[in-house]
Amino acid sequence: MKTGEARRTALGLAFTSPWIVGFAAFTLFPVCASVYYSFCDYDVLSRPVWVGLLNYQDMVTDRVFWQSVSNTLVFNLMALPIGLVSALALALLLNEPVRLRGVFRAVYYLPSLVPAVAGAMVWLWILNSRLGLLNQALEALGVSSPPQWLTDPAWTKPSLALVSLWGCGNTVVIYLAALQGVPRSLLEAAMIDGASPWKRLVHVTLPAISPVIYFNLLIGIIGGLQVFSAAFVMMGGAGPERSVLFYAIYIYQNAFEYRHMGYASAMAWMLCLLIMALTWVASRLARGFVHYPSE
Amino acid sequence: MKAAAKPLVYLVLLTGAALFVLPFAWMVLTALKPVDQALGQPHAWLPLRFEAPLGGRRVEVRTGDRVVEPSVVALQAFSARPVVLPARTVWDGAWHPATGAPLPIKVLREIPASPAAPWREILSVSGGESDVVPESAIDSHVSFRWENFPRAVASMRHFWRYLANTLIVCVLNVIGTVLSSAVVAYGFARIEWRGRDRLFALLLATMMIPFPVVMVPLYGLYRHLGMVGTLQPLWVGSFFSSAFSVFLLRQFFRTIPQELTEAARIDGCGEFRIFWQVVLPLCKPALVVVGLFTFLGAWNDFLGPLIYLTDEHDFTLALGLEAMKTSQSGASEWPYLMAASTLVILPVITLFFLAQKSFIEGIALTGTKA
Amino acid sequence: MHAARCRWSALAALALAVLAGCGPGPSSTGGRVVVSYWEKWSGFEADAMQAVVDDFNRSQGRIEVRMLSVSGVDTKLLLAASSGHPPDVAGLWSENIPDFSEKGALTPLDGGLAKAGIGAERYVPFFWELCRHRGFTWGLPTTPGCVALFYNKKLFRAAGLDPERPPRTFAEFEEMSRRLTIVDIERGGRMARVSFSELTPAERLGRHYTLVQVGHLPQDAGMFLSGWGCWFGARYYDGDRKVVADDAGQVATYDWLRETAQTYGVDNLRNFIEGFGVAQSGQTPFLGGTEAMVVQGPWMPNFIAKYAPGLEWGAAACPAAEGVGGGSPVTLAQCDVVAIPRGASHPKEAFEFICYLQRQEVAEKLARAQQKFTALRSVSPGFIEHHPNPAIGLFLALSRSPAARSVPRLSIWHEYDAELAVARERVLSLRFSSADALREVQERVQWRLDRVMRRWDVVGAERVAEWRAYEDW
Repeated sequence: MKTGEARRTALGLAFTSPWIVGFAAFTLFPVCASVYYSFCDYDVLSRPVWVGLLNYQDMVTDRVFWQSVSNTLVFNLMALPIGLVSALALALLLNEPVRLRGVFRAVYYLPSLVPAVAGAMVWLWILNSRLGLLNQALEALGVSSPPQWLTDPAWTKPSLALVSLWGCGNTVVIYLAALQGVPRSLLEAAMIDGASPWKRLVHVTLPAISPVIYFNLLIGIIGGLQVFSAAFVMMGGAGPERSVLFYAIYIYQNAFEYRHMGYASAMAWMLCLLIMALTWVASRLARGFVHYPSE
Repeated sequence: MKAAAKPLVYLVLLTGAALFVLPFAWMVLTALKPVDQALGQPHAWLPLRFEAPLGGRRVEVRTGDRVVEPSVVALQAFSARPVVLPARTVWDGAWHPATGAPLPIKVLREIPASPAAPWREILSVSGGESDVVPESAIDSHVSFRWENFPRAVASMRHFWRYLANTLIVCVLNVIGTVLSSAVVAYGFARIEWRGRDRLFALLLATMMIPFPVVMVPLYGLYRHLGMVGTLQPLWVGSFFSSAFSVFLLRQFFRTIPQELTEAARIDGCGEFRIFWQVVLPLCKPALVVVGLFTFLGAWNDFLGPLIYLTDEHDFTLALGLEAMKTSQSGASEWPYLMAASTLVILPVITLFFLAQKSFIEGIALTGTKA
Repeated sequence: MHAARCRWSALAALALAVLAGCGPGPSSTGGRVVVSYWEKWSGFEADAMQAVVDDFNRSQGRIEVRMLSVSGVDTKLLLAASSGHPPDVAGLWSENIPDFSEKGALTPLDGGLAKAGIGAERYVPFFWELCRHRGFTWGLPTTPGCVALFYNKKLFRAAGLDPERPPRTFAEFEEMSRRLTIVDIERGGRMARVSFSELTPAERLGRHYTLVQVGHLPQDAGMFLSGWGCWFGARYYDGDRKVVADDAGQVATYDWLRETAQTYGVDNLRNFIEGFGVAQSGQTPFLGGTEAMVVQGPWMPNFIAKYAPGLEWGAAACPAAEGVGGGSPVTLAQCDVVAIPRGASHPKEAFEFICYLQRQEVAEKLARAQQKFTALRSVSPGFIEHHPNPAIGLFLALSRSPAARSVPRLSIWHEYDAELAVARERVLSLRFSSADALREVQERVQWRLDRVMRRWDVVGAERVAEWRAYEDW
């Protein structure tokens, strides 16, 4: 018995060893190293110089750091709710017995597959203030001075939110799968009780898919705090007046453009803490709303 | 109630679908336009080809400004190129501009244009010759500039190398991730051992660590290994499995009845043989899903290549596309940029249509089993 | 640190034993040493350099230089140097030198230069100094550049200005610029196209017009944007440990930029600019004939020939604000340099190649093909007369002007430049006053400089000792 268990443990470890080694090399080591670097002045080319808490102190007084935090939060407060709600709305519509559902689903899903760089190119062209499709359409609709999507700092974040909305198809498909798993019996029972469609949605459907809404929210938060490619490609880095200097972009600039690797590591750690904090908040909020089906 | 709502559902779905497709359409249409038409000369949805008499022959031309009032074609002193000036500003052999002193000119001919019968400046495609002709003399028809695609490939300079590099990275990632993740997932799903669940919880937790957190030290690690500046950092890690794929495959492995593997075990099969010969063949759909997502992830990756690649010959398509945009000529030559973008997007779309079912099922799996 | 490296290498070797790796390419072919050379240019400048490289490869049988155009060479080179596989020669800009040398990415050349007999006396002092930092020489000049005012004679004529008389004072420059600005404005129900200088005060204040042509657009100066301060006497840096980003000269510069936005309207300007790409594409307003004057370098005639062959242009020194330059024409100058990265596989052969580029006839051939001039003191007879760039005499004279300036020789110039760009966006959108925007630049750049200096205080002595060790090569 004892030997059997030892054998199984050995076997389990052997099978999972690729992950264990990879975890040690590509996650554990970098994370530990980044703790060390965050207390150093380090430019990769020469040895790290120990500076204690200075990088963290600098962060407190670095106005651009705080700007990157607020940019990231503001952008996510804009993009995340709109994305989640639109995706849910589309999924609900697709869940109706419509014809060509497969085609619709494909159409909504495809943009989320488009490489970020290529998508950024297309949107750069659509949002061009003089020649872009969007402003030409707005002008045709009688808007006399349509927004300057890419050059006016007030509009750059909404522009990127629009781009991210285009890629919400992934979320739509996840919702749709969840909706199809909502027990018919529950809905039929509600219908017999004379519940209106709105009531059925609020009292039956949404509670039933609440774990999936929560999942999408978590994924959205974690992904949203790392937004990089679209902003980096479309705005050439930080955008006008640093209006789309997101957290990940500021880390990148410090690490790879300015070579302040120590400062970048300290920032990376703060991001880690931020994600943990937000996840914790989300899980707290979820307690009241998420209903796990009793198995 | 239901009957009234139905058209509304379709209306919303169709409008939404049109909006989602529009960017693709705009991209492809722009990709097929000549540069001047993309820049709004003239505003038109479809790529057009203009033909007009120029230098005694009917040739393809570019269109310039519209002339809607009686004008003259005149030569200014010092300038070899004739210009069009409103007739009301020309008298006594001189042009009287709104600002400044009159300038002596030589009138070549008069143009009887009016709002009802407008004329238009035309320019030969090479830009060498120009003229003014009645708009009625200009023919236009839709003409797609397929040659923009080879031109885009040429202006990206190393397009084929980028493609090869991208494919190398993608294929190695798929092989690495599928093989290693399957092995690891088997260890988590089908073998009971102490500490397994704690380790699996750790694996799930790593999915929350954002890439920017490990970006700097990972760069340092690959630098020590001498891999920065090669494609290796983009795929080496995949041979150590990815948490997401392990999670997906574990879910799938657990659905296979224990009796199947027990029978094999009784027959004296080793654990690896059970994995390889019994479980794996049953899990092909899940492996396909993991392979597809990995391929896409590698194809779309931008930050990784941006950090690790230095030599232009090693670029991937995503990075090459970005480099094309920031290069000197890329800034205004939208049709070539759009053609290149189309080429980068096309394989992804093709892949989707070839494996649509796997995609949708795979995505659904990520959400509902969470 | 060393132990850690070994351990990781061992682990990597173990883990990756099965996976094939690809090492660097061949370093010699047919007995010739292959020198890899990364050049920042693509296009005609790269072709010009390639021709010189071909000459060098033909001139001897021992070394073969292979040139590669690498976009964004400055960031790439730091990456490559830190990865341990840099090229043997790197074509950089002079403003990279303080940064790259302090970070240990370059090889000091002084020992080799002493042996080869190459020294300051052969070069225009201004450009020689650009190749030096902290007492060492880090690269050799290839083709320097400086900027002048290009103007469109046809547009001058159309505005009633003498096309042979470009502006001589700053006030004149401003006055002409307004006169050369053309707008479409609604007057009594009809659209009228008039010069900005003819608008009534009410129309100017209303700003309800479309810009169809501008006299001069300060934002259209490409890489020289952060250098505008030179024309207003800004100091930028005290040469030691203090950044000077908010002195009267810089504030005057930013007030001038801000005034453009105030005069023409933020939205009007943005609408005018968007739709045009970056500088040097076929769509810059100057090349498109919708900007009458632009500050550009000697390469401009080449772009004119390529994108706007009919454009009738002239060039002159760009006037500076009153009292700046002390009577000499002001210009902003920089220099292309060739340097040898630290860790290059063939530094000796690389050195031989960059020395070859210093020969009078080689440097002049390159300069002619790049439409530029050389950093050498002597100019061969006929160089100006047979030069393809008709304005080369002007540029040569400007580059020797006592009022020629360079951007500050500061290792954090890249960040300084980025901060100045943000301040520019802020004043151009009229959201900040010049003083406020620049105060933040001052704070941030000084903060960065303090950090860099503190680091230097710790590792500087080690660095200098390393550089000394190179002196006998």
